[in-house]
Amino acid sequence: MLRIENLHANVDGKAILNGISLAINPGEIHAMMGPNGSGKSTLSYVLAGRPGYEVTQGSVTLDGEDLLALDPHERAAKGMFLGFQYPVEIPGVSNVQFLRTALNAQRRARGDKELSAGEFLKLAREQADALDLSMDMMKRAVNVGFSGGEKKRNEMVQMGIIDPRLAILDETDSGLDIDALRVIGAGINRILRKPDKAVLLITHYQRLLEIVKPDFVHVLAGGRIVRSGGAELAMELEREGYGAVAA
Amino acid sequence: MTLLALPTAREEGWRWSDLSALPALAERSPTGRVPDALPWLDCAHEGPRLLFIDGRLDESRSRLGPVEIGPVSVQTGHPLGRLAGAGGWSLRLGRDHAPPGLLQIVHVSTGAADHLAGEIVLDADAQASIVETFSGEGWTNRLAGVTLGKSARLMLNRRVLGPAGFVSFTDHAELGEGASFVAATLAAGGRDTRLDGEIALVGEGAYAEAVGALLARARQRHDANFVIRHSVPSGTSRQVWRSVADDKAACSVAARVEVARHAQKTDGEQSLKGLLLARSATINAKPELEIFADDVKCAHGATVGALDRNALFYLESRGVTPDEAKALLTRAFVADALDRIGEKRVREAFYADAEGWFA
Repeated sequence: MLRIENLHANVDGKAILNGISLAINPGEIHAMMGPNGSGKSTLSYVLAGRPGYEVTQGSVTLDGEDLLALDPHERAAKGMFLGFQYPVEIPGVSNVQFLRTALNAQRRARGDKELSAGEFLKLAREQADALDLSMDMMKRAVNVGFSGGEKKRNEMVQMGIIDPRLAILDETDSGLDIDALRVIGAGINRILRKPDKAVLLITHYQRLLEIVKPDFVHVLAGGRIVRSGGAELAMELEREGYGAVAA
Repeated sequence: MTLLALPTAREEGWRWSDLSALPALAERSPTGRVPDALPWLDCAHEGPRLLFIDGRLDESRSRLGPVEIGPVSVQTGHPLGRLAGAGGWSLRLGRDHAPPGLLQIVHVSTGAADHLAGEIVLDADAQASIVETFSGEGWTNRLAGVTLGKSARLMLNRRVLGPAGFVSFTDHAELGEGASFVAATLAAGGRDTRLDGEIALVGEGAYAEAVGALLARARQRHDANFVIRHSVPSGTSRQVWRSVADDKAACSVAARVEVARHAQKTDGEQSLKGLLLARSATINAKPELEIFADDVKCAHGATVGALDRNALFYLESRGVTPDEAKALLTRAFVADALDRIGEKRVREAFYADAEGWFA
């Protein structure tokens, strides 16, 4: 599904990614772990097409198509979703309005019929209920006045509504208490643990990986994948620390 | 026409205006072509309707109700307002008069210049709500006088539509004790504007609001100048203006609050914000406070900025197209002004016009 080859990227002229290669197939969950500053968030932004993140070398394809040639909204329409580490507050734009616009833009791009207001609200209610977020909150401005945990839950509600094929989740577990972590982990499993879907889960900690069991674990350091393995690698990291494992 | 001793940009109050197109418009002949579809609002509670074509009442398509056509007595020294003359329409509602429903006025210009005055006099406790829509492509120049008695309430919402030309209006309003006047303006067409208002709070406890959203692109110019005068105690005023300029357009807002020495306990707020959609566009914001009383609360703020890149990326990463993302954020930006329109049907119509401009 996603193929990253020898990816190099700069931010503000500084090299952050230094040759990442990774293949993600349908049905797989990959965890990307690594210390602060290793390039985890940069990788997620490069994949989503954030302006200011300049690819200097390498290639990324989604189902064989050059991902880097697409604008962010086109990548989304191809089924990619970025879960933000710091979801953005947008005063004056309601969640419902935003998500209906987003979903219908994607459906238009794929040649599907747009959802009516009624159809959309039904879908939004189902997804909000599943993550314990009230419809009142869905009618409020995007992330404005939301607590850290509510913002992350809102990311998952958005993911449930949009129903992507490939999700890149950037520290979706950061800032969550144990109960919220369970809700979010269950959400990820429910939405994405399917034979035709895939996940790149970026995280610092092993906690989330106890709920969302990864098929592969990679360790990122200095903008490179320095080790790859199965779920046991995450436990090794937890035990020994990045210093020992990445060395 | 013998007019046109027009102010020039050398005069302080006119330095952001460009009146250079007006003499030519004043010499043109109207085409008289009226579009089939007129911008009437459908409302549950239909009120009077006035259709002015090039400044003349089209009686067959109007429904006067309590509105009278004839001489009005609005005094003005304003260089554009005084061109309006002594004829026009008037709405006079006596004490406790029930609202006549929404009064809709549509001004269609078919390519030349026309001038007209209007007068609104509401006695104690009377209420009225008016929507005035400017469409067409010439120069439409209006003068309005508003006199509100004790606890009278007037909502005056205006939208400037139409593809080209110029719209100017000059308001003079006087608010009695406890009266409330809310004037909201949306400029969302292709015409240039010069909008002037002087609102005087002469009775204690009056409330005045002058708000608007000005949207401009290409080489358009909008220029709004509003003064609110507090001359007695305990008055409240709000001025909320949102300007959006794209391409080489310019939006200018000068908003002034004057608080006289006796006008203690005045509560005034000004918020002027500008959004630049292109580096070549211009926003001018001039908030002014002149306060001679010592026990007042007056807040003012003016900011100019661009769309938030983080918000744009967030929206686009979810599949929203760049144009839709821009429109969503711009709509949110003008919401502070348009949300002040109390009647849902009117507010929705104004939003629809604004969204038409974004599209």
